[in-house]
Amino acid sequence: MDPLKTEIVVVGAGPGGYAAAFYAADLGKKVILVERETRLGGVCLNRGCIPSKALLHAAHTIGAARESARRGIVFAPPQIDLQKLRAWKESILARLSGGVAQLAKARGVQVVNGRGYFEDSRTLRVESSEGQQFITYDHAIVAVGSKSAMPRAFDLGNPRVMTSREALDMEDIPESLLVIGGGYIGMELGTVYAEMGSQVVLVEATDTILAGADPDLARPVANYARKAFKEVRLKTKVARMATSGKHIKVEFDMESGKKEELYDRVLVAVGRTPNAEDLGLENTKVSFDDKGFIHVNEKQQTTDPNIFAVGDIAGGVLLAHKASKEARIAVEVIAGHDSAFVDVTIPAVVFTNPELAWCGLTEADAEARGIEVQVARFSWAASGRALSFDHPEGLTKLIIDPDSERILGVGIVGHGAGELISEGVIAVEMGATAKDIALAVHPHPTLSETLMEAAEAFYGHSTHTIARKRVES
Amino acid sequence: MDFKLPPLGEGADSGTVVNLFVKEGDRIAKDQPILELENEKAVATIPSNADGMVTKVHVKSGDKISVGQRILTLDEAGAAAVPPVKAATPQLRIVEREPAEELERQPQQSPAPPVEAFSAEEQKPNASVAAAPSIRKLARDLGIDLTRIRGSERGGRIILDDVRNHIQRLQRLAFQPKVTPGGPAPKPPVERIDFSKWGPVSLKPMSPLRQVIARRMAENWNSVPHVTQFDDIDITDLNLLRKKYAPAYEQKGARLTLTSFALRAVACALKKHPIFNSSLDESANEIVFKNYFHIGIAVDTDAGLIVPVIRDVDKKSLVDLSKELEELAGKARDRKVSGEDLKGGTFTISNQGGIGGAHFTPIVNKPEVAILGLGRGAMKASVRENRIEPRLLMPIGLSYDHRVIDGGSAARFVVDLVKEFEQFKEEDVKL
Repeated sequence: MDPLKTEIVVVGAGPGGYAAAFYAADLGKKVILVERETRLGGVCLNRGCIPSKALLHAAHTIGAARESARRGIVFAPPQIDLQKLRAWKESILARLSGGVAQLAKARGVQVVNGRGYFEDSRTLRVESSEGQQFITYDHAIVAVGSKSAMPRAFDLGNPRVMTSREALDMEDIPESLLVIGGGYIGMELGTVYAEMGSQVVLVEATDTILAGADPDLARPVANYARKAFKEVRLKTKVARMATSGKHIKVEFDMESGKKEELYDRVLVAVGRTPNAEDLGLENTKVSFDDKGFIHVNEKQQTTDPNIFAVGDIAGGVLLAHKASKEARIAVEVIAGHDSAFVDVTIPAVVFTNPELAWCGLTEADAEARGIEVQVARFSWAASGRALSFDHPEGLTKLIIDPDSERILGVGIVGHGAGELISEGVIAVEMGATAKDIALAVHPHPTLSETLMEAAEAFYGHSTHTIARKRVES
Repeated sequence: MDFKLPPLGEGADSGTVVNLFVKEGDRIAKDQPILELENEKAVATIPSNADGMVTKVHVKSGDKISVGQRILTLDEAGAAAVPPVKAATPQLRIVEREPAEELERQPQQSPAPPVEAFSAEEQKPNASVAAAPSIRKLARDLGIDLTRIRGSERGGRIILDDVRNHIQRLQRLAFQPKVTPGGPAPKPPVERIDFSKWGPVSLKPMSPLRQVIARRMAENWNSVPHVTQFDDIDITDLNLLRKKYAPAYEQKGARLTLTSFALRAVACALKKHPIFNSSLDESANEIVFKNYFHIGIAVDTDAGLIVPVIRDVDKKSLVDLSKELEELAGKARDRKVSGEDLKGGTFTISNQGGIGGAHFTPIVNKPEVAILGLGRGAMKASVRENRIEPRLLMPIGLSYDHRVIDGGSAARFVVDLVKEFEQFKEEDVKL
């Protein structure tokens, strides 16, 4: 096969890669998108964000039906047809992935299936079952993402020890499930399995779950987990795992000493590692940090002038929307615009029960960095809307610069926090002040009012709480 | 299609149209010269980048035009289809280059920072700028530093109006006369005099070359303490020698002139008095003695003074010097000397003898330290061995930089120089 020639080749068709390819095509560039899997969309679409949200939705209905009993509406215990559940989830993925393929076609983005391997700074070799194809390019965007970390000590070669990838396949609903890692992946998938009926034990090596989130926001999630899970063990390490018949024998290192237990399945959710190997990047001038993430500058340029990197492989927070933003910046820089990842607010959402979301500066951040802030809180216990759907366990808070009254950060925990946080992102990005939020009319009765009321609370005149301090203007 | 002024190279982006070679209705070919463009450094011939018929000429002689400006409209119909051509590179001919260019660089004033203090306006560090993403993108595109803008909205948020006001302010500042605190008082603006009050006048813009001459002369005059030493040289014998050998030189295609002799005589005097062949390096407080003798010849051209340089005068025969002199003078008058031809002089001769006049005080051509002005030789009564004789005497004026050269040295130089002229050896003239 003759080598293909293109202006831009994008390696990896996840939310970083396909966003880059589409935007570049929209700017009139000739683009080739290389994906090693048959389905486009990457981890996010096939093995991450989307399937986990589908399963969480299914799981939440179980909890909602159960809770409904206290309101006088009683359902029979759920009967779970796993095959049907999986098929439904699969249909969503197929539809979204097909959509990405269609969007690529409509833009004239050529998709080449196969594994990309850099021969040098201007040539990519793509290997597939049909042979190999060389692509010469002006610029490459590496968007190969990351995969679940599996420490060697846990890798027994036993399918009962899962990463998020296998957990999302939901082969069965184990009677007992050990979740290792109290980050967002462990918490979300632990929630799914707990609602489906597994006895879930979650262990976390540090003293907190959802590190990174402010403790007051994580608390309602921890409260839920303590009820829904069999146990949440903090400051606990897994010392050893071994196959024991149809079980996994796990030895824990706890403050109180050692402990041994048997589990039907184990979910290892201890982080993600970059997909840096077997890419041939050693044949280019691209360099890596000690964890294997590609070094990039604020323009997403690697140390090879022809090669850019975006998304998980470029390090930083490993989130799909951060990848998409970086993709746009990389493409703009290639197109000759002055673009850079500077002062960009990347929101974080954890789809636990209740949801947890934040953006901009967190309270813990401010404290650690010695930034003087004022925090305005509004508890959902005072929200008519939250009470009406029976979930008053929520909190909205604003992190405010006391001098300019600018909103520097927003944190929300509660039902639908992931949807609500976008108002916070706009506020932070626009440089809005608490007054801007307080003066903008928010519809009643909605959860969005909690943002307005928190801003009003900053000035001491929130309608639905008692003023603790200043009232002016 | 429109033909626009292509990039000129050498950092030049504009110039004055001195000659226009085409007119409406002309059929022109690719690479055919369209006009001559003059700027401070060069006269460039601008060639066409396509074949076609000139349907409209958008510029005229004397227009100041810049790169990208429309010059002609060409109708390519009829002409062979022309593929899009890269703008032909204009051929640059350097006409006048500032001789002191290298030395001038360091003391150049850096562009003065805007005068108004920004401190009051600075945002507190650490906090990022409060502005909508669209405004931040705009600022990035424009190269505007938002931390230097105080936002007018709540919380110091910067809106489009703030950016607009900031740019307008910068523009105002850029055009304000610069006030450097502690520095020399700014020159009062030159008062314009309305000469037409006293009679009819006509105006002619200074050519770029004239502007360079004006600036350079003022600089040299202001920075070099000049002394001019006068004398008269008896060139009676030299003139006989010239007349005797002129026909033979003619046959060799060379014109034997007094300037040829002057070149040789000066080179010999310079060898004996190396300080006249030096330069002052003010930054290092050093005097640079040059072990080569490159002599500049002031050439009077229609456009103004040009000083091409003849290299290694001491190593060339009189016939070669004569040939080169004529060739360079011709090139200077046709404005065809290259930039190289104007560089590297160590001493300058200005011979007005061909025109007339007697003593004059030439201005030293920095970074050289001396210049010799020759007036017109004339028959004068001269006393030789107690008898009055009619002799051909040439008045000379030697100007020198008194920072480097003392009066005694100058007198000794002149004595030797006179000797070189008056005792010019015949074997040096013989072919």
